[in-house]
Amino acid sequence: MDSRLLALILVFAPLSLVSFGGGQAIVADIQYQTVEAHGWLSNAEFANLFAVARAAPGPSTMIVALLGWHVAGFWGALAATIAIFLPSSLVMYFSASWWHRNAGSPWRIAIERGLTPIAVALVFAGALAVMRAMHMNPVGLAVAAVCALLIYFTKISAYAMFGAVIALYSGLFYFQLI
Amino acid sequence: MSGPVNDPARIPADNKKTAARCGPPQHGFPMDNSEKPPVPLLDLLISFFRVGLTAFGGGTAAWTYRELADRRGWITYETFSTGLTFSQVLPGANPVNLALYLGMQLRGGLGGFLAVVGLVTPAFALIILIGLVYNWLSGYPITTVLLSGVAAVGVGATLSVGAKLTQVLFAKRALLAKIVQALIALATFLAIGVMQWPTIPVVAVAVPLSVLIALALERIHPNG
Repeated sequence: MDSRLLALILVFAPLSLVSFGGGQAIVADIQYQTVEAHGWLSNAEFANLFAVARAAPGPSTMIVALLGWHVAGFWGALAATIAIFLPSSLVMYFSASWWHRNAGSPWRIAIERGLTPIAVALVFAGALAVMRAMHMNPVGLAVAAVCALLIYFTKISAYAMFGAVIALYSGLFYFQLI
Repeated sequence: MSGPVNDPARIPADNKKTAARCGPPQHGFPMDNSEKPPVPLLDLLISFFRVGLTAFGGGTAAWTYRELADRRGWITYETFSTGLTFSQVLPGANPVNLALYLGMQLRGGLGGFLAVVGLVTPAFALIILIGLVYNWLSGYPITTVLLSGVAAVGVGATLSVGAKLTQVLFAKRALLAKIVQALIALATFLAIGVMQWPTIPVVAVAVPLSVLIALALERIHPNG
């Protein structure tokens, strides 16, 4: 195997297992490993890729695809993506299998009931975290509120909503209102 | 989905529902709605592909709920909230863990694999694409403006799902359970969302407490 691919896998696979709470937890380690330890790219280049990863859809962990691409092209991107998702997915797989095997036990019912309010809290906390990170302006808040109502009460498609919002923001930008 | 107990041909029509519910798990992964036929693997793949395409700006869990619960009717609220909390607690990207959990719930290990592939493939393709044109895109100020609009939609989706989950949280429970659950949710939200305490330790304390309270409530109001 290409030594660069192996190096990518050896960097990202262990980080996968310690990414408790998701991708944000390991961004600092990814930066250290790729910039300081391996010297694959400069700090400025890393910041640039980080901005792309935030802009793109999907989990923020996808930054490893860009880093892999930077180091070893398409196969680098693929190797890095598999390395960051496979180990943690195996942990999830075995945990979920164990969980499903214990269906119907009173403990499991209590755990599901107990997890419910925590999940509600995590959803709202997640929305608040994005609002804070984006420094949302009044237009953004209004758009978020209208979208929330539309999604709650109608079956409007996500694509229609994205299209409408992009048109709205383009218009606001054109008339220098935003 | 046929077995000695569950075979619909052997069961009188009025007993079908009960029998299907009480039947043993068919492949180790009990389904949410045992009366329905299993979710086709291709549909599962397509659904998560759609989520992968729409999940801009951090609303992946919300779009997952919209697609699988609202649009397809494949999963219940309990399944989603359990999977969501698991996916946050265990290592790994939360949306990927959630897809794996729900895919496994619907169609076992293969379902989990296809769910992850469906979710990650569009995200992978798009991030490479955006990476290639980013230097060109970032030269235009409108890029940042449009991205903030996209993020606002993601926040809207998340808020709407939060509201739906809150509504279901309170459904069909005794008054005491409603009050207690609301207090637990509020305290956890204040700790993680407002105080910005780290998620893992807060969840590590809140989950066992909440489960023990749920067990105690079950003693006071069985099935409440």
